[in-house]
Amino acid sequence: MAIDHLKINQLLQRLRSRPYRIYEVKTPHTGYLREFLVKEGTEVKGPRGKWREIPGTPLFTLEREKNLKTIKARVSGTIHNLRTELEGRFVEAEEVVLEIRHPLSQEEVISEFLRETLILITAPETARYLLAPEIEKRIRKEGLGKVFVKPNEEILIMSFMKRETPIVHTGETMVIFRIFFTPQEVVTAGEPLLGLCLQEEVPYLERVISRICEEWPEK
Amino acid sequence: MKDRVLIANRGEIALRIMEACEELGLDYVVVYTRPDEESLHVRKAKRKYRIADYRDPNELLSVADEAKCTAIHPGYGFLAEDFRFARRVVKRSRPLTFIGPRWEVIRDLGSKLNVKRLAKELDIPVIPGTTEPLYNEIEAEARAEELFEWLRESGEEDPRLLIKASAGGGGMGIEEVRELEEVRPVFRRVRAYAKRLFGDEGVIIEAKISRFQHLEVQLLGTPHGELVHFGTRNCTIQSPGRQKRIEIAPGLDPQFVNYSFDADALLAEIINHSLKLAEAVSYDSVGTWEWLITPEGRAYLMEVNTRIQVENEISAKISQVKSQTVNLIKEQIRIALGDKLRYQQKDIHFSGTAIELRLVAEDTQRNFKPLSGTITRFSWEKHPWLTVRTHVPQDKPYTIPTEYDPNLALAIVWGKDTKEAQQRALVFLEEVIIEGKRSQGEPLVTNVSFLKNKLTEILRFPE
Repeated sequence: MAIDHLKINQLLQRLRSRPYRIYEVKTPHTGYLREFLVKEGTEVKGPRGKWREIPGTPLFTLEREKNLKTIKARVSGTIHNLRTELEGRFVEAEEVVLEIRHPLSQEEVISEFLRETLILITAPETARYLLAPEIEKRIRKEGLGKVFVKPNEEILIMSFMKRETPIVHTGETMVIFRIFFTPQEVVTAGEPLLGLCLQEEVPYLERVISRICEEWPEK
Repeated sequence: MKDRVLIANRGEIALRIMEACEELGLDYVVVYTRPDEESLHVRKAKRKYRIADYRDPNELLSVADEAKCTAIHPGYGFLAEDFRFARRVVKRSRPLTFIGPRWEVIRDLGSKLNVKRLAKELDIPVIPGTTEPLYNEIEAEARAEELFEWLRESGEEDPRLLIKASAGGGGMGIEEVRELEEVRPVFRRVRAYAKRLFGDEGVIIEAKISRFQHLEVQLLGTPHGELVHFGTRNCTIQSPGRQKRIEIAPGLDPQFVNYSFDADALLAEIINHSLKLAEAVSYDSVGTWEWLITPEGRAYLMEVNTRIQVENEISAKISQVKSQTVNLIKEQIRIALGDKLRYQQKDIHFSGTAIELRLVAEDTQRNFKPLSGTITRFSWEKHPWLTVRTHVPQDKPYTIPTEYDPNLALAIVWGKDTKEAQQRALVFLEEVIIEGKRSQGEPLVTNVSFLKNKLTEILRFPE
């Protein structure tokens, strides 16, 4: 891997000048939007705690089949474009209800950096993905940045149109440094699944991550 | 009050149900997911609701209530054979009509193992194998050893077993083993797959009958105790993943192929056995009894599908009731809404042969890999003997959703005999134009060439 220092510096500069992202909050399913629990400009929090056990700020309630569900913020930020006209109405699935302007966290900046730096294994199709059982076992035991993947080794399983297809690592022996997907969630074609690097590059990556941690301290 | 049907499915079956409702003068409501926005079933429907998932009962029932529906048609796949869903539909505080069999029938016939047990009680032949789901690999290996021994004793030179997810279907979760040593690892793999896909890790083991034809019997029963059949179908031509690609009605044709057994007698036998089982459970909707036929003329019942099938229309094309053509989806809806059959078996007449071709975006050269991409051109010549069922628009590009099977269309061809139907099917395949691009830009391929090749093999036992 030829690490492009200039590109990395440009990336960090861009993140410094626009350190936020807009998240659309959509209805997860159909139902009646009973009540908004936030207003335009309200500051909300995403899930917190070591295990993300503290739920995010309640945003609105949705009732379906006599079950009232509170939709909570999945990221922290400020409420914008609240569609108050939906209150009391039946809404379809995936209806945009509001937006959250979310300041990037340290972890998100690190993720952006790694996407630009690592050798990425991207999703060949829009599909669901799983780690190959053997790789998953080794990562659980040894942790990321320590597990090697050899040429022709089964690394992922793609669940596409109800069929499961193994994905084999075609390059040289590398280290799995980052997982970019959540198992069983749909990943769009071209999106990164795994980030790999050579063993000798691991110390450099760790140094840049330390630098990011200094610049973007955990709030 | 006029009935209003919620069509709880997608694609071509949703379109056929819409058509049946229109012909019966019923209102209907369509549901769809975001990836299906460009499907014709969405474009053609006046009343539609976007939902999160076709498999989520809460979504369907929430829309049914909002749209004031009185009945739900599940189509095929998704929740069509989920007895819990059928039970909930009829037992909730605002009950709806479930357009399908009673939930108890779906439960009893939905389990392949239970069907085996019921069949055995009625002296209906079934494939040798386990009759209870297996969860333990040591027990699986012991059962496999017994079956290998039975096959060798029966004179099978290359005995093989099938290890299947007991809750599976549609060719999913089935693997083949040739050696006893393979049983444990394959059992573990199928069990894990079954758990992931069907939520039940039960596995069954069956003797593999190496040369066979896959036949079906189309039945229609009513809650008033009426029961008729619409003949047989042959679904032997499948992809290696055991998904049907060409279907023919009737299931055997002794004028077209020389069989070593009395084909008419065998068809009569499987129809009678199917009717016997249907009568025993008071079957009250459309349903399909699936059979496996050997070259020696032995028949084994495999399973029962308690729903409308993809291929039901070829049975309808060869059937006439009191000189009128039949639409089995209309019959299914009419019966579910309380109507009587108003005809008997003697009023149903059969004529000609119908062939269904399933056009699928798949790479038949690469293990039938399903393909995604965009269809840019899709057209065919019109003929009086041809019906094409498709949800793919012909007037604008269509992106194949990756969440579902890449089925593009069904072509149903009728001929006065099998030879004419075969020739016409070939004409359709020569004339159809499907063009498109994959996500990486290369041309999209389909299974048209495979269908052309396989048309020469229809109704014959595979070598």
